[in-house]
Amino acid sequence: MTHFLSLLLLGSALLAGPVAASVFAQAVAPAAKLVVDSPRLKSGEPMHKDFTPDGRNVSPAMTWSNVPEGTKAFAVVCADFGAGLPPPWVHWVIYNIPGTAKGLPEAVPIDPAVPMPAAIAGATQGLNGWKRAIYRGPAPPVGTTHVYYFTVYALDADLKLKPNLTRAELLDAMKGHILGQGDVVPVYERRVPRTAE
Amino acid sequence: MATRLASTDVVVIGLGAAGGVAVLPLTQAGLDVVGLEAGNVLTRRDFAPDEIRNNVRDWPMAIQKANQEVPTARPNAQSPTMRLSGHPMMNGVGGTSLHYWAQSWRLNPWDFKVVSETARRYGSARIPAGSTVEDWPFGYEELEPFYDKVEWEVGVSGQAGNVNGQKDPRGNIFEAPRRREYPMPPLRWTGWIEKMAEAARGLGWHPFPGPAAINSRSFQNRSGCMYHGFCNRGGCHADAKNSTAVTTIPRAEATGRLKIVSRATVTSIDVDRQGRVESVTYVMDGQEYVQPAKAVLLASYTYENVRLLLLSKSRAYPNGLSNNHGQVGRHYLSHHQGAGVTALFPYDLKAWYGLPAQGVGIDNFADDNFDHAGLDFIGGGNLWVYSDRRPIGAANMNTFNRVPGWGAAWKAWIKENADRSNSAYIQKSTLPYETNYLDLDPTVKDPLGFPVIRITAEYKENERRIAAYTQDKMEAWYRAAGAIDIVRAPVGGTMVPTTHAYGGTRMGDNPETNVVDRFGFSHEVPNLGVLGASVMGTSGARNPTLTSQALSWRTAEHLARNWKAVTA
Amino acid sequence: MSETPRVISRRDLLRTASAVGAAAVAGGGEAAAQAPAAAATPAAAAAAAARPREAYETLTAREADMLEAIVARLIPSDANGPGAIEARAAHYIDRSLAGALHAEIDAYRAGFAAFDRYCRMSRGKPFVELPPGDQDSVLIDVESGAATGTGAGFAGSSAAFFTMVKQHTWQGMFGDPYYGGNADFVGWDLLGYPGVRTMVTAADQQRLERNQLPPNHRSAYDFDGFNKATARGGHDHDHGPGPMPDDPTDDLAQVHPYEQGELTHGD
Repeated sequence: MTHFLSLLLLGSALLAGPVAASVFAQAVAPAAKLVVDSPRLKSGEPMHKDFTPDGRNVSPAMTWSNVPEGTKAFAVVCADFGAGLPPPWVHWVIYNIPGTAKGLPEAVPIDPAVPMPAAIAGATQGLNGWKRAIYRGPAPPVGTTHVYYFTVYALDADLKLKPNLTRAELLDAMKGHILGQGDVVPVYERRVPRTAE
Repeated sequence: MATRLASTDVVVIGLGAAGGVAVLPLTQAGLDVVGLEAGNVLTRRDFAPDEIRNNVRDWPMAIQKANQEVPTARPNAQSPTMRLSGHPMMNGVGGTSLHYWAQSWRLNPWDFKVVSETARRYGSARIPAGSTVEDWPFGYEELEPFYDKVEWEVGVSGQAGNVNGQKDPRGNIFEAPRRREYPMPPLRWTGWIEKMAEAARGLGWHPFPGPAAINSRSFQNRSGCMYHGFCNRGGCHADAKNSTAVTTIPRAEATGRLKIVSRATVTSIDVDRQGRVESVTYVMDGQEYVQPAKAVLLASYTYENVRLLLLSKSRAYPNGLSNNHGQVGRHYLSHHQGAGVTALFPYDLKAWYGLPAQGVGIDNFADDNFDHAGLDFIGGGNLWVYSDRRPIGAANMNTFNRVPGWGAAWKAWIKENADRSNSAYIQKSTLPYETNYLDLDPTVKDPLGFPVIRITAEYKENERRIAAYTQDKMEAWYRAAGAIDIVRAPVGGTMVPTTHAYGGTRMGDNPETNVVDRFGFSHEVPNLGVLGASVMGTSGARNPTLTSQALSWRTAEHLARNWKAVTA
Repeated sequence: MSETPRVISRRDLLRTASAVGAAAVAGGGEAAAQAPAAAATPAAAAAAAARPREAYETLTAREADMLEAIVARLIPSDANGPGAIEARAAHYIDRSLAGALHAEIDAYRAGFAAFDRYCRMSRGKPFVELPPGDQDSVLIDVESGAATGTGAGFAGSSAAFFTMVKQHTWQGMFGDPYYGGNADFVGWDLLGYPGVRTMVTAADQQRLERNQLPPNHRSAYDFDGFNKATARGGHDHDHGPGPMPDDPTDDLAQVHPYEQGELTHGD
């Protein structure tokens, strides 16, 4: 895991925000605007530490609206385009979310033995940058502000994708099925610790 | 003050795989020999089947001399130097032949003639730029009698693939002609090894059992192999592994002419005014001794051979003994043992017992056994699959990104898969290069205050291409046997300390580019011989020990037969 | 391989008392509700809570509580069999810290202190009081290095502490029971490892391949003839390899008669 951490640090040192944004732009196809919101995340504003390893490190709740007609499933990815070698560093991959879902509850289970809440029954998590199929929040180097894209994809089919897909594999599998997408883009900076590391 | 001891005929520095062989022809010829060994005497009672002791806590290597002088390493002269922990070799009477895998291969004839054979077949432009490779001063035929000698004196099990030109498809059909069969049949195969052999045949390849200095049946009044495992970094509790500690050394002792001095740390090889070796200085239990001798054979492994020469400075040899041509430490190379392939199978391999030398080999892609005309490299690799598994090692298996490394999901995974993976490290030929070398580290020192060896070396383009090519072959082989997932290790990197280290005192006719002559004696110091893989200029695609031992026997025999000329 | 019981001190009794208390908290309603997987063996959990814990020789009671709670998540006891607690992996580490792993004692002490601070800062409670799901979340953040930079005070990366504890837990789960772990061979049974032997005949191998070879529950040192001087952790330096005269009764010296008839390969 030190390996992954060093990749993260190296990636963030090499890449600044504008570069990240252009990488992001290339990664998505043009699609209808899905309206994405979150009770506790706001674009451009710092995330609460509950969603980071400085706190409970649980996944944030999300809601969506203006869902395209014919949506059969959703997928959500959280990525930091200012980290990773190559970028992005992926914090969360979740898919097979039923088309009836209005959003995601807070604290999606990290134990595969714990069933998903009924509203998102069948939802499956893919591998993040730490190669775990769970949400892990931001842990940027102290003193640097990073940007986190929580992107929601509305899909025209329930693709019944297998567990443990990476973001790249998910994007590949969703090709041609994306009816719309939208995102919420908070930021996070770790405070200088009270005790020396 | 140093104690000056009575003179002897020959001092052998290091009683491991190489020095431990040389003492037998010397004493049999009537010479008195003092064997100086940094380690101690171990017996089969020290070799419990204990993974924590052998493989986790590295006993006894962790507490030995070698471990206090671990070479540092850097890929090239522009990079920072890394300090590393854990020397791959061990001290002891028998040396690393106590705990080695005991794979006992002959080199392929191509390995002796890389330059001329490459030029003949593909044109000399195919020798990689920057390589300092030379043909050996002799061909395979010169060494064949000594390979045969060692195979029978030490005891090697195996299946011949070519006896006097008669090929036998049960053995390695790519091997060079041998004068007779191995003294013992090969080690047995498990069902899984049979399955891999069958998969290889299905690919049109030629699988064969590998040669091992391990008894497949009782031999020389010692037991056959017990197949219980734990001899990978462990000695044999049945004395079925033919280390020099149970073969050539006791027979040399029986002549009454070998005196073993254990716990002796040699600090210098001393010369007289004419520049001839006259004594060896060593420290034992804090006391310094000087052992005069008429001839010295240096057999302390590649790193220590080079270090002792560089440390032994005198008026005659201001840059280190036998280094007036600046060749000590040059032409260093080590096997490219990284770039392995790990496979996951959907069935148990039943590999809990067995040993690394018990397996199936493929030589179709080794040396020049295949046409390189359309390829962008020379040389190749030997594919080797064996049965060897220990519980802690199994629990640390690759999880192929299917589960995290701990917790309930991991536990369910390991319960199902602990016996379902296999790794091949693929020995690949490596060439020497101008920019790959050994010298003394400018800052890091051993507890006596002497600098340790610094390795400056990396795998070059030719080695990386071999790695990628042979990984493809290895993956195809695993898949043919039903593998459902494959992980490949990265190719290339820094050459860190290894058990397969070659060069540094290379053998050759030209004193401008080689330290020792065709018999293993210094071009500059006539009564100094060098034993071990440090004299080898190429690696081949297989373990060095048998070749090192054949060369040792030859050097020792040369000394005995030319005693007056060498020591005059 | 069993150890001579040590005299139990008053301090040990205090540790035992605190362990029972911690187990009672961990077994509470909140934990059970959030961790159906861990609830698979409520009987085992209850038994563990009821049994007074054995003395630790190196770790303090708080450290021992933390270590037991950590190893219980690394290799949990569940439907797939006993875990690291039952294997006594924490006891293996505790004992080794007094011997072969003595050089790591400071890394453990500092690591436990940082680990405890991190749990309280990020999750608001000591590790032993967190429900299993949150315990896993903490361990993941320590493993990934994300707990570095939080002010908890990990030396270097928190990942180094995790790696050290995991490696030693694996040794205590899957190593030879002679060293105090792998109790009742639960680690080897989990892997399906059929056990240490000093001879595996071709017929044994064939039985193994037909799933008919029963596991051999013996330590290497249950076999006669092996030197133990260097096996007990930490005393290697006092007992360097030394000459050992051959013993005529040494059962390792026998030439076993099985070889020639049973070779399955060659011919």
